[in-house]
Amino acid sequence: MKKWGSVVVAALLSLSLAVAGCANQGQGAADANEILVGVLLPVTGNNATDGKDMQNAIEMAVKKVNDSGGVLGKKLKIEVADDGCDPQMATTAANKLVSQNVVAVVGGYCSGATLPSSGVFKNANIPMIVPAANSAKLPAQGYDTLFLINGLTPDQAQTAADYMAANQAKKVALIHDNSAYAKDLADFAKAAVEKSGGTVIAYEAINPEEKDFSALVTKLKGLQPDATYFTGYYAAGGLLVKQFKQKAVPGLFLVGDGSFSEDVIKIAGADNAEGLLITATPTAEFIEGAEAFTTEYKQTYNNLAPGPFSALSYNAVNLLADALKRANSTERDAIKKALKETKDFQALGQTISFNAQNTLDTSNFAVLKVTGGKFILAK
Amino acid sequence: MEILVQTLADGLVIGAFYSLIALGYTMVFGIIKLLNFAHGDLYMLGAFVGYSLLSMVGGGDSGMGLFGILVVLLLTMVIVGIAGMGIERIAYRPLLLAPRLSILITAIGVSLFLENGAMIAWGAQYQVYPLQLSHAGINLFGATITYTQIGLVLISALLMLGLHLFINRTLYGKAMRAIAHDQTACQLMGINVHKVIGLTFFIGASLAAGAGTMAGAYYGTVNFMMGFIIGLKAFTAAVLGGIGSIPGAMLGGLLLGLMETAGTFVFGGSWKDVVAFSLLILILVLKPTGIMGEKVTERM
Repeated sequence: MKKWGSVVVAALLSLSLAVAGCANQGQGAADANEILVGVLLPVTGNNATDGKDMQNAIEMAVKKVNDSGGVLGKKLKIEVADDGCDPQMATTAANKLVSQNVVAVVGGYCSGATLPSSGVFKNANIPMIVPAANSAKLPAQGYDTLFLINGLTPDQAQTAADYMAANQAKKVALIHDNSAYAKDLADFAKAAVEKSGGTVIAYEAINPEEKDFSALVTKLKGLQPDATYFTGYYAAGGLLVKQFKQKAVPGLFLVGDGSFSEDVIKIAGADNAEGLLITATPTAEFIEGAEAFTTEYKQTYNNLAPGPFSALSYNAVNLLADALKRANSTERDAIKKALKETKDFQALGQTISFNAQNTLDTSNFAVLKVTGGKFILAK
Repeated sequence: MEILVQTLADGLVIGAFYSLIALGYTMVFGIIKLLNFAHGDLYMLGAFVGYSLLSMVGGGDSGMGLFGILVVLLLTMVIVGIAGMGIERIAYRPLLLAPRLSILITAIGVSLFLENGAMIAWGAQYQVYPLQLSHAGINLFGATITYTQIGLVLISALLMLGLHLFINRTLYGKAMRAIAHDQTACQLMGINVHKVIGLTFFIGASLAAGAGTMAGAYYGTVNFMMGFIIGLKAFTAAVLGGIGSIPGAMLGGLLLGLMETAGTFVFGGSWKDVVAFSLLILILVLKPTGIMGEKVTERM
């Protein structure tokens, strides 16, 4: 009797193993008249809100392309993989997309997660268009499969430093969270601030998994900064803003575009977030010619306003569709070549032409300010 | 001077949270020699249950009044306490006689279950607590100590005092201490061991849940992974104070909170964890059983 029991259990276990293996393979296999595009985003985790927003924009763009006949007579189909803003998860997700034979990948929000996943795609020779991640370390890898359409960290740092200098903020405190993007931006900010004559009085790191930054806030209060620049993501950014204001630390508070999200205002509370400055590429509402996009987004997604990276994600999909048309094939090398040769591609708020490093030469970083619970362009 | 006082006050608040959770760790370890890795997630569960309850009642700032907030706190503690008992009944009790490793692995499994369950139930992103506490405070030597902070430390102290009295002055407390010494002898003496173990889990879980709800209200946000790192810190605090010792857990929590805050103040934010854990290693090297731990000799 006992022997039968263990045989049955063994059989059930091996069956579940087989079923689990099958499940992944079934999805995502494209038929002959579909082009499979991989999408790599933080669907879960601290950055899920922005990830979802980018996914919405991508799906909207794909639907639009398909409705107008698709590309090369085929429909685009997306396969979403979750990188959770974590390098390990990103590598697994990237490998999953590679195994599903995607033609190209659109995605990448956290630079820390995009660095390893771009390596995976390079090895598989799959072109990747990155709408959001913008650490300078990404193009520094020299992958010819990687294309970035967001402004890079050195430009963002310069924008921040210029604003601080223009507002007589001489003593600057920099806070990052040890992620690749944040540290990169903080390093560039340090250089930029010092170049424009300011001094960096503190260069600190926080652990974004934690909630309590009171010790650091108290320390900075003692140093009396003219401006503080936090270069991490919005989950910790919101809390930091809140605690800064609660302890009445003096000076301006700026955040990088990793903290560019409605969630920052929600987490910090509208009162505490008043006057918060953000260096970012402006949202669709500030882009000329993007009104139609904004209206369509709101209609499709229950009156939800497009987020900080929706326009860029939308552009990424359209860029890919354009490259596919120009390449006139779904061969990866052809797509790569077509992307590289992109000249003056008209997109929302930007004209895309890639330089030698597969990035844009012009950046459209601006400083935004939170006024009355909304982001407006600061002057 | 004011920065010192401020740092002290901040350290006390963090320390109070660590202590409440470390107590649950230490009690469960003391009684069944299990490191309940799912304990940090009970803290998270408490925060979320409090979040749901407050949302149901309509949240609002001070509209609820202090009494209402306390009722929600107690209710959350009871609900999560029962959940803790349920976990013990389902996941741990069948494995009490199994090799130690099996129950440890189950604990990790329960932790993952709770984290992902919370993610599915309440969403993957940070949720903002519907209760925002005021930031009026008193001015002590130039440092601002808010009434909220004082309230939190007081509530934590009261809970710990309550626990101390329970363990030392009641029959059930005595039974818990007895089971920690020798489980078989207790069964021979007629103590319902399983019932007392269940009670231990209830108390540990409700303390963690109380800390969770207070943390949610104090910091303002909750998310499904918040239990992970706090669980790690609280475990460190419990070991620091001597695992298995209840006053040790209280002391360890406060000490860890103060060390972290002091570390940030002296060395900088990046060094906070390095300082705290270096001190932990130092103390363990000098006193391996923790500050208040006792060497338990195994009698064959």
